[in-house]
Amino acid sequence: MKNSWTGGEAARLETAEENLAVAVHRSEPGALERLIDRFEPALYGYAYGILQNTFDAQEVVQDAVLRAHRALTRQYDEARCAALALRPWLFRTVRNLCLNKRRSKTRALEQPLETFDDGRIGPFVREHGSELERKEDAELLRHAMSGLPLDARELIVLRFMEEMSYADIAKTVGTSEASLRGKVFRSLKLLREALEERGVTHAL
Amino acid sequence: MRCRSVLTRVDALRTGELPAEEQGLVHEHLKTCPSCDDSLTDVGALATNIKALAVVPPRSCKDELADSYDRVRYNNDDVWVAFSDRGLRLVSRGSFEQFSSTYAKRYGRCLKSGTLPDALRKQVASAIEGEGVDKPRVDWSDELSPLERDVLGLLPKIPRGEVRTYEWVARQVGRPRAVRAVGNILARNAVPLVVPCHRVVPTAGGVGNYAFGSPMKRELLRREGVDVDALEKLAKDHVRYIGSRTTKIVCFPTCRDAKRIREENRVPFRGADQAKEKGFRPCLHCQPFAA
Repeated sequence: MKNSWTGGEAARLETAEENLAVAVHRSEPGALERLIDRFEPALYGYAYGILQNTFDAQEVVQDAVLRAHRALTRQYDEARCAALALRPWLFRTVRNLCLNKRRSKTRALEQPLETFDDGRIGPFVREHGSELERKEDAELLRHAMSGLPLDARELIVLRFMEEMSYADIAKTVGTSEASLRGKVFRSLKLLREALEERGVTHAL
Repeated sequence: MRCRSVLTRVDALRTGELPAEEQGLVHEHLKTCPSCDDSLTDVGALATNIKALAVVPPRSCKDELADSYDRVRYNNDDVWVAFSDRGLRLVSRGSFEQFSSTYAKRYGRCLKSGTLPDALRKQVASAIEGEGVDKPRVDWSDELSPLERDVLGLLPKIPRGEVRTYEWVARQVGRPRAVRAVGNILARNAVPLVVPCHRVVPTAGGVGNYAFGSPMKRELLRREGVDVDALEKLAKDHVRYIGSRTTKIVCFPTCRDAKRIREENRVPFRGADQAKEKGFRPCLHCQPFAA
């Protein structure tokens, strides 16, 4: 998958972002801001999904944007920028930085902080649909997600939080679309199991 | 198609990302298999709920990554100004591309558009108008060498309407042999106009080079009240200093004291030795050469 950021299907899907890459390359006024505005929330969500830590996630996103800017303005020529699939490329940069960061941290952080038992976990019976319950459900979902293995959590964040296409996710994590479908399915299954462990049996 | 293969494709089907030929097969299966059909709605619901958990960054990284830029007009030209909350960072004339790439190279940071604070705008404007800036607010990077710091700090002290030589600057900062180094530092001045490197001219006379071109240097000096044509005429005659017959004091031609010398008392000198021989001493204000 290395060096496959150009051409192909992704390039056709990303017309607007292609132009953005070229705009940044040409140092057009405000181009970098547009890039940050468009991608920062998604990139942050992804980094947070992997790292489960606000500060680390911010740091990684900042570093990624700086690297992207450097690459687009100084390393890549215009043709390469024009053919670049910007979205998965950015996500891949964030991903690599996140994994570096995790590697450099102690294994203790492998278990996210949020998994501690705060007493609200467990079987419960309640009517469906109140505001409070929706809040609690969201909280349970968050818990369940933070307990997932990294690769499963990553896929769920990319697919359902950032709503990325299978094609883009495949580029980001470096796999084929077909095998990615299976992986996403298994991640969902894990999530479903984690929810059931916490006593959620109704459809969320 | 079996349940297992269908389940892995349900999510792709939901967003219409499945290849057309597989779509038909999956649909067919869903019609006959209620449990798989349920999982389709299930994935949909879960997706909505996960989407709702999306986190937003507490603050944008734009502030961390980038300084702001704005533009100021000079005649019919743009002057680009980069600034931080501590002061001016870069002033450049010409295309924005050039400006931002210079900035990236020099500081390794990016630029976002902003509004120049009034205090800074006033400094740039009065520099362009030739009114001079006494205390430029500049955010030098922390990488300035001691010599750079001294040289750039000295420039605003050259009075408006006067010029000094590179040799003079080198002498004033205590490094009389570092004339070339001074030239290089001035050429690298990140904030021309506001930090008045245009007030430094070659020892041999004339106006010399400028970041924004010699014509602009002439124009700026003229706006500040320097008689550029006279300066160039003196250079043609190889005159570097002007002395006064009555006081026996020698000045740079643009020194405010030199301007007061009456025509009949003006003595031109080509060099310091020539002046010393005749018993003249250097002016204490402009200090044209070491006593």
